[in-house]
Amino acid sequence: MLPFIRAHDITLVFQSKNRDPVTAINHLNLEIANGEFVSIVGPSGCGKSTFLNMLLGLLRPDSGELQMDGRTITGPGQERAMVFQEFGLLPWRTVTANVELGLELKGIAAGKRTKRAMELIRLVGLEGFERHYPHELSGGMKQRVGLARALATEPEVLLMDEPFAALDAQTRDLMQSELLQIWERTRKTVLFVTHSIEEAAYLSDRVIVMTARPGRTKETLKIQLPRPRDYEMRLTPEFNEIKSRIWEVLKEELMPGSRR
Amino acid sequence: MNAKDYYTEHRRLVLGVFSVIFLVAAWELLLTYVFPVNPFFFTKPSLIAEAFKEQVQGAKLWHDLAISSRAFLWGFSFAVIVGIPVGLVMGWRRRVEYALDPFLTAMYASPLVALAPLLIIVFGVGVLGKAALVFLLSVFPFVFNVFAGVKSTDALLINVIRSFGGTEKDLYFKVILPSTMPYLIAGARLAIGRGLVGIIVGEFYAASEGIGFAISQAGDTYRLPDMFVGIIILSVIAVVLTEAMRRLELTVAPWRAGEEVR
Repeated sequence: MLPFIRAHDITLVFQSKNRDPVTAINHLNLEIANGEFVSIVGPSGCGKSTFLNMLLGLLRPDSGELQMDGRTITGPGQERAMVFQEFGLLPWRTVTANVELGLELKGIAAGKRTKRAMELIRLVGLEGFERHYPHELSGGMKQRVGLARALATEPEVLLMDEPFAALDAQTRDLMQSELLQIWERTRKTVLFVTHSIEEAAYLSDRVIVMTARPGRTKETLKIQLPRPRDYEMRLTPEFNEIKSRIWEVLKEELMPGSRR
Repeated sequence: MNAKDYYTEHRRLVLGVFSVIFLVAAWELLLTYVFPVNPFFFTKPSLIAEAFKEQVQGAKLWHDLAISSRAFLWGFSFAVIVGIPVGLVMGWRRRVEYALDPFLTAMYASPLVALAPLLIIVFGVGVLGKAALVFLLSVFPFVFNVFAGVKSTDALLINVIRSFGGTEKDLYFKVILPSTMPYLIAGARLAIGRGLVGIIVGEFYAASEGIGFAISQAGDTYRLPDMFVGIIILSVIAVVLTEAMRRLELTVAPWRAGEEVR
């Protein structure tokens, strides 16, 4: 079977005027199946977020091929949506209007998109906050809006760029559990970039560890935990075992000079 | 609620009102008892109040105000119509920025009132000449503030719009313009002040009617109370307009209530 998302030999070099060009991503290969939840972990600056932006269609690789469902990605498309680390909500719009944004840009009629926005606001548990502005919401609530907005356009792939990194630890745990519940219901393909080994292990079917810059995939680990998952699983020895396996792989990339 | 509670709650208002009353009273008393100067050379609040009452009842004041307002509104409206798009495009398009920058920087920094004689010659002593001066003085705050607003637009929000397939037009109308609003309004506040200067200078220089002309004429004929009436009316107008802008800012940009732009 053809992979749903396929990155073949992707290289991206950032050119800048006053400095040497920086190779952000170097011969990256990766395949993701439809409906799979995949996390990418790697050292800071390894090009994880850059790769997501390529998948989103905001950046083009310098060489290599990036395909979704057999078609090369050439720009943004409604089958892909991103949840951003810093939320990216429009501060002058209410929760509802923010959730509607993607639908509005697609040219969906006002009545229809409000109805759809209401469904998603319910899905992410923000009833009662429809008319609030982002500055009146907590970080966790803001990211719920970000998630609802991404889901509103019914993408096939959800790209999540360290979506919970800006949240406090408890909110983060809560959001992870809720994301899993939503994912169980919608079964979208999710590509989740994170710094947290624990988060990657808890959420994913597979965890991809990237090398330090220039980034490419170093190793892929399958997470053999049953679904649906719950918080208690994180307290089991098996979970710790998985975490330490990821850590063993990642460690080599974090220690300076270990790869040379 | 007793007086003390009222004071704690409205300290700002109470102190402000008291300081105005104190100043006016001190002025009146000083000129009545301490330095009883010839009313030809200086005046005091009671005489100004009398002149005010007289002028409000007459027709000339209202006529002058109407004349000046007309010139102000024309000039200011054109400043809005021209300044906002120029600032938007300049902030968004690097090439436009580089092309216009030297010209605009020079115009913004120079005392443009120096051009008043030229404008009056070209456009005449009527509404048009004054409107041109108002335009020239008030257009730059719009251009520069909108420009700064566009420059400060969050790149993340641009990416958000793009990621949903938004067009260039969507970027302008759904992100750049709304996020520039607070800057635009701060620019409008500056522009109001400069536009009023434009009116007054224009009317000082060459006019036969208008509030600036009235002030200058009163000065020329040593009618100091009448002169102060004009000055006070002008400052009340300026305060009302800039305060309205501040309120407007809070309405269009409630998320910035805490971080006011000056």
